[in-house]
Amino acid sequence: MKDSRGYRVFQIVNGAVLLGVVFVTLYPFLNIIAQSFSGETFIRAGQVNLVPLGFNTTTYQLVMGDDTFWRSYGNTVLYTIVATAIAMLLTTTYAYVISKRGIRGRGLLIGIAVFTMFFNGGLIPNYVLISSLGLTNSIWAIVLPNAISVFNLLVMKAFFENLPSELEEAAQIDGLSTYGILLRIVLPLSKAVIATMVLFYAVTFWNSWFQAFLYLNQQELFPVTIYLRNLIAGASTASSLGSGGGDLAQVASNVKAVTMVLTVLPILCVYPFIQRYFVSGVMLGSVKG
Amino acid sequence: MSRALLRAGGAGAVLVLGVGLTACGSSAAEEVDITEKTLGAMDSYSVGDQFTATEALSFPVLYSEHPNYPIKDDWLFWQELTERTNVTLEPTIVPMSDYEQKRSLLVGAGDAPVLLPKTYPGQETPFVSSGAVLPVSEYLDLMPNFTDKVERWGLEDNLDTLRQEDGDFYVLPGLHENPWQDYTIAVREDIMAELGLEAPSDWDEFRDVLRAVKAAYPDMYPLSDRFNVPTPGGNFLNIVAMTFGTSAGWGYDDATFDAASGEFEYTGATDEQRDFIEYVASLVDEGLIDPESFTQDDDTAIQKFTTGRSFAISTNAQTIVNDYRPTLDTNVPDAEVGKIPLPAGPAGDVISGATQLENGIMISSAATEREDFVAMMQFVDWLWYSDAGLEFAKWGVEGTTFTKDADGKRVLADDIDFIGLNPGAPKHLQKDFGFSNGVFAYGGPTELLQSTFSDEELEFQDAMAEKESLPLAPPYPFSEGEREQATLLETPLKDYTSQMTLQFILGQRDLGEWDAYLTELEGKGASTYVDLVNGAADRFAEANG
Repeated sequence: MKDSRGYRVFQIVNGAVLLGVVFVTLYPFLNIIAQSFSGETFIRAGQVNLVPLGFNTTTYQLVMGDDTFWRSYGNTVLYTIVATAIAMLLTTTYAYVISKRGIRGRGLLIGIAVFTMFFNGGLIPNYVLISSLGLTNSIWAIVLPNAISVFNLLVMKAFFENLPSELEEAAQIDGLSTYGILLRIVLPLSKAVIATMVLFYAVTFWNSWFQAFLYLNQQELFPVTIYLRNLIAGASTASSLGSGGGDLAQVASNVKAVTMVLTVLPILCVYPFIQRYFVSGVMLGSVKG
Repeated sequence: MSRALLRAGGAGAVLVLGVGLTACGSSAAEEVDITEKTLGAMDSYSVGDQFTATEALSFPVLYSEHPNYPIKDDWLFWQELTERTNVTLEPTIVPMSDYEQKRSLLVGAGDAPVLLPKTYPGQETPFVSSGAVLPVSEYLDLMPNFTDKVERWGLEDNLDTLRQEDGDFYVLPGLHENPWQDYTIAVREDIMAELGLEAPSDWDEFRDVLRAVKAAYPDMYPLSDRFNVPTPGGNFLNIVAMTFGTSAGWGYDDATFDAASGEFEYTGATDEQRDFIEYVASLVDEGLIDPESFTQDDDTAIQKFTTGRSFAISTNAQTIVNDYRPTLDTNVPDAEVGKIPLPAGPAGDVISGATQLENGIMISSAATEREDFVAMMQFVDWLWYSDAGLEFAKWGVEGTTFTKDADGKRVLADDIDFIGLNPGAPKHLQKDFGFSNGVFAYGGPTELLQSTFSDEELEFQDAMAEKESLPLAPPYPFSEGEREQATLLETPLKDYTSQMTLQFILGQRDLGEWDAYLTELEGKGASTYVDLVNGAADRFAEANG
């Protein structure tokens, strides 16, 4: 069947608008990539747009030759993996429990979680807590405090609630224990939501800097986000305050660009692999009417 | 300036409130017996002595991590420091980007290291009432070098500006022998030469220079400025207002002292402020300033300057070398750029006297409980205030990182690079040795300060040295209740004044409405604020003579 004229016009306009959105979204990123390969003077003069000018890779060699950068990078990878693993374990089990309607104390468990969405002790009490627990200057200060994101928890709970209860009943009749049901039936059916949660958590932990800033006092423990933030924000803070004493932070713009590219690259690569799990209808056909 | 700095740290404001609530209730004036706290201290320690602890000591210190020279354990600085003083520093490392916030957090949580450097005068105020920081002025007898420099360089009045309501001060500032003006305007010297123009000596001549440039190059903005974050016109309005006898830009202070009447006035309402606004408005009116000059970001302004689209821009010694010259050389091969000496204004040929105090060290009040308290004060005195300590922190070790020639001029070792002294050398004074580190090296004798300056900068500084420094306003430390009230008034007043100043300057509001503007200021509590200031100043003068 031929599309109507109006529909074709709509498709063209739609495509054009969306392409525009894509361009606007991608432009800053492409600009940073172009800057990372450009000469400093061209960036300063504001001439670099989408194509690198004064093409060079010396900045990449410079940044990649920096021990501090790689150590921070390694820390970020470690923190992200450990934190995501812990977060997934805790979130999945918690969500599974509170998705069971009949369970006693369910309302309380949900209440406790939701309460923390709206209230918290504040910065200094939190710091005192973490520090009294002896967690400062260790990986645990980064991976434990935010292990459960209540938002993710509620999303997962909703997903589990929508799983057909007949499946679990069938498994029960066939002799599976509660844990067996979770591990062998529920989790394999939940790949979509698990992939989504892994992505959410991993991106959050990869990008987070505030926990590390609060609880870590040693440079060898800093994640790369702290390194990057200091590079970018440190530079502008000092000069905007007009600080004297020859201690202005002058960081070349191409160094900033290279660091940014290297920092976002891994997490950017994760997307295409996880994206295929963002599909609906995993459940179709599992229960025959 | 210091107040502007304090306010700029708005992000820390919430934290700062927290400090007042959580810190323990010990009174600041509590007497502490320190006669027993002499572990490792030297019995006799005076000016010229090398401080060496009689037994090995270590002091925790908050350390601001600079992105350009990440801290390394094997820096010669640490080794040599321990060798000379028998003291090891234990740094708590905080990224420079969020240093203030972390400092507030640690002090508030009672977890702060004893030494808290890089505290700008004014930043200590929020901690005073909680008793979390030490009234250092009570322990100056332990610090012979500090007191000696204050006396010899005549800095008592400057120190008075740091005093709180109880008459004590809570931060040990960095000390400069002379006032130091770094910021001014950079101009295209090749165009000046081409048009036969002389460097302007006052602001009227400055306007003439801009006019001449505009006539010769109608497509060029004579002035297109930067430093607009967080305060629009940060530097330019600051330096112009300063020489008009008022304040604006990043140096803006709500209260201005009028020496004739001996009273404070509201800055935005003074006649000087009006003259200053009229002057800058005339520049805008004649098209001598880029209309975006007060709002554009630094990069845009730099781009205009370095591609030859503007003639003048604000600068300090570093930006001229780092931001302007290299790019300008590529884009406009014949261009020459240089600083002009700060022009004089109606208030005379003056610079601010407040620049003799630098950022400095706050000490946690828990320090007095340490057995080695006396040794710690002696150590601080040696490293930050003795001639030997200052030279060590800045230049390093004689024979290793630098040598002295016959005239006593310091020469950096050949294989070491530092701010363009030996470009391309394999090692770097800051990155590989840890010297000239912003945490430890600042202030000191003019000779030391200028020892790393280029010839062109020395010439500028010589011109600046001939200027008079403006008298300092008397201190007006608020009581806690007054501070609360003042804070409520201060910010809206400041914002409104800054907004209206810009509107007048840009011609969006006619100067004929000046009286209406004064009434509006009144409505926002300008005179209540000034009364508070005058009250506090009188009380302080009475209590402290």
